[in-house]
Amino acid sequence: MSSSARTSVVWLALSALTLASWWLRVVHDHGALSASTAATVGVLAVALVKGRLIIREFMEVRSAPVWLGWATDGWLSVVWVTILVMYLV
Amino acid sequence: MAAETSTASRADGRTLPGDINMWVFVLGDMVFFGAYCVIFMFYRTREQDMFLQSQRHLSLATGVINTLFLLTSSRFVALAVQAVRDGKHERATRLVGVGGLFGIAFVALKIHEWYVLSHHGFALSTNDFFMFYFALTAIHVFHVLLGMFVLGLVVRELRRDDLQRTWVVEAGATYWHMVDLIWVLLFAILYVMR
Repeated sequence: MSSSARTSVVWLALSALTLASWWLRVVHDHGALSASTAATVGVLAVALVKGRLIIREFMEVRSAPVWLGWATDGWLSVVWVTILVMYLV
Repeated sequence: MAAETSTASRADGRTLPGDINMWVFVLGDMVFFGAYCVIFMFYRTREQDMFLQSQRHLSLATGVINTLFLLTSSRFVALAVQAVRDGKHERATRLVGVGGLFGIAFVALKIHEWYVLSHHGFALSTNDFFMFYFALTAIHVFHVLLGMFVLGLVVRELRRDDLQRTWVVEAGATYWHMVDLIWVLLFAILYVMR
């Protein structure tokens, strides 16, 4: 797959994930806005996948020196785990 | 290909896109935004019901459309970086321009969203949720505007036959993608989480 085709596939995946979070709220839950651990964990998981796709593919960390991969994965881990733990506790 | 490529190549074939200074700046910004989001969560856990009730007044559709604007913008800027590497500078200039237009669309929709909310009586002082909503989105929009200035510098670079340095375009793109990345996090915690 060419670089430009790969970029477009990543963009499609990111857009689909964004629309999925909309669909979950508007269609599946009929716009309900009550607290839901399952929905929130799902939302955070989708955002984590989107964030890592942007970092690895658009920001090209995939082919960058290993330390940058560790730094960005470290950031993702600390921020997402902290948010999740604060939500659950 | 006239462009000078200053991207650091290494023996293992891995290359740092752009410039180390830009990466230090971007990683620092990511740490700050991460901290803002953790502080938001601290307040949210104390007043979860109020945050949920306030969140009802945000338009999820607006948040989704704005996310699509930034993702699409990032795609065009990523394609521009690839065009520069192929020596297609005119194509890269056009792609950065289209990316910038989606950035303008994001800011316009965000201002419209602020206008609608304030028209309905919501402001920084309404409660902690709206304090965070307006503050975080305003800080983010400031980064979008800074990013558009950076994209302007990239276009200027691409139009100068004596410059057209690949690493400058890569560094500008790195910053622009960071703006997109931060929005994905803000969108999740402000609009969708419940």
